[in-house]
Amino acid sequence: MLSGEIIFIIVLILSLYGVVVAISFFAVRRMKQNLKKKEIDARHRMYELAILKEISDRTGYSLNIQKILDVIAGSLNQFLEYSVAGYMLIGADKIIFKADLERSVSPQFIKDVRMRMLKSLEAILGVSVPDAQVEETITGAVMLETVLEPVRSYFNIPLVVSGKLAGLLTIAHTKEGLYKEEEIAILYKIVNQASRAVSKLEDVVRTEQSKVAAMLEGMVEGVVMTDRDYRVVAANPSAKEVIGYTQEGMPTFFDFTTGLKDTFDIKTKLEEATKLDKVLASDDIVIKGKHYEVLVSPVKANTGPAKGQILGGAVVFHDITHEKEAEKMRNDFTSMMVHELRSPLGNIKKIGEMLKSKEIVENKELSAEYVGMLYESSSTMLDLVNDLLDVSKLEAGKFDVDKQQVSIKELIVDRVKFFDTSAQGAKIELSSYFGERVPERVLIDAKRIVQVVNNLLSNAINFTPQGGKVMVACFMHKKGFNIDEEAHQQNIQWFDVDERKISSAISDCLVVAVTDSGEGIEHENIGKLFNKFTQFSSSIREREHKGTGLGLVVAKGIIEAHGGTIGLGSKEGAGSTFYFTINL
Amino acid sequence: MNQIDEYKSVMSEIIGKQIVILGPEIAVLRARKVPEISLSEDGKVVDVKGDPDEVLNRLIDTYVELSGEIVTNALGTIFTKYPSIKRAA
Repeated sequence: MLSGEIIFIIVLILSLYGVVVAISFFAVRRMKQNLKKKEIDARHRMYELAILKEISDRTGYSLNIQKILDVIAGSLNQFLEYSVAGYMLIGADKIIFKADLERSVSPQFIKDVRMRMLKSLEAILGVSVPDAQVEETITGAVMLETVLEPVRSYFNIPLVVSGKLAGLLTIAHTKEGLYKEEEIAILYKIVNQASRAVSKLEDVVRTEQSKVAAMLEGMVEGVVMTDRDYRVVAANPSAKEVIGYTQEGMPTFFDFTTGLKDTFDIKTKLEEATKLDKVLASDDIVIKGKHYEVLVSPVKANTGPAKGQILGGAVVFHDITHEKEAEKMRNDFTSMMVHELRSPLGNIKKIGEMLKSKEIVENKELSAEYVGMLYESSSTMLDLVNDLLDVSKLEAGKFDVDKQQVSIKELIVDRVKFFDTSAQGAKIELSSYFGERVPERVLIDAKRIVQVVNNLLSNAINFTPQGGKVMVACFMHKKGFNIDEEAHQQNIQWFDVDERKISSAISDCLVVAVTDSGEGIEHENIGKLFNKFTQFSSSIREREHKGTGLGLVVAKGIIEAHGGTIGLGSKEGAGSTFYFTINL
Repeated sequence: MNQIDEYKSVMSEIIGKQIVILGPEIAVLRARKVPEISLSEDGKVVDVKGDPDEVLNRLIDTYVELSGEIVTNALGTIFTKYPSIKRAA
């Protein structure tokens, strides 16, 4: 009985021990499993951190996606078993395919991987991707025809940057069912993190580019900026205009080389500027009929680790067409002035030579005639020089008027009387008109106003044919009324001068106008009349009355110095009205 | 073809497309994460439990979760073949 109880107790103890041992065994096993899992997780996490750090260290999360893919593909063997790790990268005009062979596979294996990757790209992009566009690079172990193992395991990871497919990473193996979801997920995580970092960087770059584009947008100068590979990164509307680019979006570098063909070798200039590390200027480049000064400059990083490195180039097109035109006008004006001065000077010289002759000196009548001619020629020269001096005073802002109370009626009557002889000689009827309420005296610089009236009358007589009429009219203008209507109401010989209907805004003033029945002035030439450098040549009587054209420039300056306005109205083949106002 | 068969076909085609894009192993592994779907060995959907619309969205979401919206680019052509099935926005 006792032994039976003992046996029972022993069995019970052994059973309890067994249970304890079993529990302990399973607990230890579970612990081991947990530990192993934790170890694997830690290893994966370590790998993940290590590879992300490596990407950061080696690429600085630059925009070079290929570099990032190289880092990922190059470190995979620490983490995964594979036969081939490769990537495809979508470029502007090609697809880069790079495969790293961890162990030898057949060329057919590579061909299969390449084909599968292309199919994947096609499925995502929804377009056909021709195999001919693929540029292949194989690294690592050698390819062997004798290795007949096909692709049995593989997976792709799409690489997306800023919402667009940038490429594909692929892992392939000859063994079947090799890859676990956990490992694939980690790789996905790494690629996605790298993609996000590049996308963020691209966003920053895009924001900066848009800022640059916005700054360039309003610039008059055409500006093109390129990267080191001559890809256009910015081109403002003026630059597009230079090459005649009318499409939406950014022109390519090819558009620039084509647009500037035979006129400016933009690539060579950029290469030269980069090589010499200095700004190159090209003067007077004619592109599509316009003149440009072109500056080509290397663009360097001025901050960060890349400080001093060439980032690309910038080309600035400065339109100098107007400067060239102005230069031509100045040259033409100088030539004309020289010519105008040369003519009376030549006369003076010839007369001087003649007056040396004893025969002429003794002939009082002939010598008086030559002295008269001498006086005429020197007067012409003096007038010309005076005009030039007046213009230069006007331009320098040093033109002063000495205003006095003067009878405007007397001034006009006197001038009409003065020109009457030449008008009669030209068989032109010269008359004057004074409206009601014209004041007896006005505050003017009589000498200068005489100069203006002389100029207007002289021009009118010179450009009016025989039998024509010239009238000097003087009438009052009232604010709120139109000068043309005021003239018509008084039945004055008149060509409308207020095309823009703005004269009603002019305060009460005196209007002095000279109207002729001459050949009139073409509308497009009216603006040239008061410009120092521009003279037009439409007059059939140009040869007879060629001048410097400075008279009207001076007249404008005189009237404006009085606070008045000067202008004209004309009808081709009928005549012109030149008018000026005198403030009261 | 009844509607549930249409859903099975759509889902099978989606998995088929993802097999091309991502590779067979991962595409099928992800599809198996949707418990309402029963798959054959070759990745065809043989049974769908519950609301097929919800299951379809869950299937798409599992791929989006892995590699982002880009993988859904290819799904447009599949849905045009099944006008009665609308893809959730």
